[in-house]
Amino acid sequence: MPAQIHVDQLSKHYQVHEKEPGLAGSLRSFVARKYRTVKAVDGVSFDIGAGEMIGFLGPNGAGKTTTLKVLSGLLYPTSGVATVMGFTPNKREAAYLKQFTLVMGQKQQLLWDLPAVETFLVNQAIYEIPRAEFDATVKELDQLLDLGPLLKKQVRKLSLGERMKCELAAALLHRPKILFLDEPTIGLDVTMQVRIRDFIGAYNQRYGATIILTSHYMADVTALCDRIVVIDKGKVLYDGNFRELIERIAPYKILRLQFEQPAACEQLASYGTVESCEGLTAVLHVPRAQATEAAARLLNHREIKIDDINFEDPPVEDVIREVFSGKVNPLVSA
Amino acid sequence: MCRKYLAFARVAWALTLEYRAQILIWMMSSFLMVIMLAVWLSISRNGTVNGFAPGDFVAYYMIGWIVRNLTAVWTAWELDLAIREGRLSPLLLKPIHPIHNEIAANWVEKSLRVFIVLPIAVVVLLITPGASLILTPLTLVAFILAVAGAWLLVFLSDYLVGMLAFWTSQTAAFIEGYYGVRLLLSGIIAPLAMFPPAAQAALRWTPFPYMLNFPTEILTGRVTTLEQLFISFGIQFVWVAIFAVIVVAVWRRAIRSYSAVGA
Repeated sequence: MPAQIHVDQLSKHYQVHEKEPGLAGSLRSFVARKYRTVKAVDGVSFDIGAGEMIGFLGPNGAGKTTTLKVLSGLLYPTSGVATVMGFTPNKREAAYLKQFTLVMGQKQQLLWDLPAVETFLVNQAIYEIPRAEFDATVKELDQLLDLGPLLKKQVRKLSLGERMKCELAAALLHRPKILFLDEPTIGLDVTMQVRIRDFIGAYNQRYGATIILTSHYMADVTALCDRIVVIDKGKVLYDGNFRELIERIAPYKILRLQFEQPAACEQLASYGTVESCEGLTAVLHVPRAQATEAAARLLNHREIKIDDINFEDPPVEDVIREVFSGKVNPLVSA
Repeated sequence: MCRKYLAFARVAWALTLEYRAQILIWMMSSFLMVIMLAVWLSISRNGTVNGFAPGDFVAYYMIGWIVRNLTAVWTAWELDLAIREGRLSPLLLKPIHPIHNEIAANWVEKSLRVFIVLPIAVVVLLITPGASLILTPLTLVAFILAVAGAWLLVFLSDYLVGMLAFWTSQTAAFIEGYYGVRLLLSGIIAPLAMFPPAAQAALRWTPFPYMLNFPTEILTGRVTTLEQLFISFGIQFVWVAIFAVIVVAVWRRAIRSYSAVGA
């Protein structure tokens, strides 16, 4: 089956003008501007099937948002191919515009001085949504997002979390089949993040929508996406199963040990890599396959008296940071 | 499309009501016409200036004031702001050109202005001796058509200047510069009849007289022959067509190089 979203060697370069600081710099820039090419996206390729939920991970400036903007038709590619449902996004055909939505956490489409429902009605007209369908969609979104009285309040009087919920609703009134969500939970408190996350998952289930989600919050991605695309400096570093990436980069479990009495640290070395060993606590990194066995042996050790033992997965943030730092190549097993 | 315009108009109306005080102040800003009237009245108090008696100035400026309000457009500023702040992006994601909302919002605001300006102008015209207008079915229809053409000229040229924001961050300077030129050459600072004949002849071929001076002169009786009327309409129409073509072409180019600002 052909991919719904097809990206092949996509590149987007910007010309940015450089200005040196200070008055001398300003004058020089006035006379002779210096330009530098920024390769925001540099040869990115991936295919996404209908109904998939993908997480884009990458540090700031990696090229995640730029890629989404190309897929939305807001930006023209410098080179390469990007097609969605067979459409070329930057042609901005009405038929395509009605099929997707782009929600940018830091941008808004809601009219600031009016209640959210006014924006909904404008969108209904713009997307030519029949009355009955519109009412049904609003009701469902209200249920999923718990919008209630928010719709009648002026948008500028809503809190960030309330506004984000209304923004999401406004963006989904036309029941798009494809969602590009750019940092939808940014700045939200933990409860609201979970709420939005649940909503996105439910929307994907209920409507079979294809969703690309970018986020700095690992929890968003771990909760929702089986497949992630790691992007840095405009290039794809990894595209595949999330769990597999973790296991590849950090194929170990963390054992946190609490002793009844200070243990001899050298004895721990035979069970795994000793990360720390001080006083009554120690942290071991043990290869996954051997973790349970190592724990069992430690618990039964005659000399080492263990009071408490904890198994942990390596923190996702650390793993991803390792990938970004370039110290590990995620395509090669550790 | 009708439903979309109605939806935009509803929002524009709601926003207009929100910003009642602002609207009143903006209307007063077109008070420049009234100020210039005071200036010309003072100049002409002892006789006529270039064939204009005080009553003629009152007629010109009161009708001109109505035309000014009916053709008031601020779309250049809106475009500039939207582009610089990256607020154009959400608009470009919608399956409708952003220009339609600008048009609908503009028409809604007109309706409010007319309610205030029209009665005042009519009262002033009635109480001023010597302020005579030619009000016949022909002149009224011609006036309405000329004002429609004037609105198109002002709106399209404004949109064009606003689109400069795609390429420069200094658009404000260009907008102000353009407004200054328009103030002078469309007959706001002075009726074009005050200009030297050579200047008037040259101006006839530019779009500016057709933005205010031409519709105004239809009712004040300075367009005396049908031939004059048709030629003027012809020139106005050609300029509308030229601006329309340029706007479409420039928009296409602009969108090509548009980079959404910010994250």
